[in-house]
Amino acid sequence: MTFDKILNNGTLWAVRYEGDDDNALRKVFNQWNDPEWLWDFFTENMADLEAYFKITDLNQAIYDTMDDSGELECLILDISPDADLDALFRPLENYRTTEMTLGKEKARLHNRPAHASWLRLYAIKLEQGCYIITGGAIKLTHTMSERTHTLRELSKMERVRNLLLENGVIDNEGFEDYIKEV
Amino acid sequence: MKQETKQFLEEHQSTTPSKWREEAQWRRENRDWLRYSQRIALLLLSYMKREHLTQASIAERMGCTQQYVSKILKGTENLTIETIAKIEYITSSKLLTFD
Repeated sequence: MTFDKILNNGTLWAVRYEGDDDNALRKVFNQWNDPEWLWDFFTENMADLEAYFKITDLNQAIYDTMDDSGELECLILDISPDADLDALFRPLENYRTTEMTLGKEKARLHNRPAHASWLRLYAIKLEQGCYIITGGAIKLTHTMSERTHTLRELSKMERVRNLLLENGVIDNEGFEDYIKEV
Repeated sequence: MKQETKQFLEEHQSTTPSKWREEAQWRRENRDWLRYSQRIALLLLSYMKREHLTQASIAERMGCTQQYVSKILKGTENLTIETIAKIEYITSSKLLTFD
């Protein structure tokens, strides 16, 4: 596992996993712009799309994904060096209000017309305003543990978090919090 | 960012540069026509799935290579009017309409 600097000031990074020729950010945006990949994904997950979003038109789901992907990608492209990344990423667990050591976070589009956006970018928060993107997913269900593809993202976040912990990427205050957690 | 974190990430940076930013900028700059290309790709894909056709059989009907059909289906090709007309013909769809 290696890391790619997404912002030159070092506040945003992306993981490049073993065997991948580029990082997780490029991988998800390429998938979200690939009609064949999206066709296969929504064909396989049509029941969730209908159940949770009341959408029955596969083509519409693909168009919406591509549109949202463009919006989200531009949002990241346009992050200025002094931008507050804490406004883009939110705790993965909606109920979590306290800071967590190397917390699992998500980024998504808000105020999308017609239906909520199902695109998610996942990250680990290194410290205030600093994040590592671990992956992304089309989340159609209420929780991530309900489907294999979102479970896989949870596992990736855990892997990255463990690697960072094992390598001491944590300050004394954070370490004390971590000990309390375990 | 604290020194240890910065040092760890920099010591473990990938050895080759990422193409994400370059591709993202290209997608943004070409967004208008890419949207058409993606929709045409989807139309062709729907037709292929419905008729149970392979890329090779589409290539044969269009008089092009299977590799080119694969590129069309990625939705990133700036298609010529000739290619659009061929897709219209084989899918019996009207893509270009004029008032």
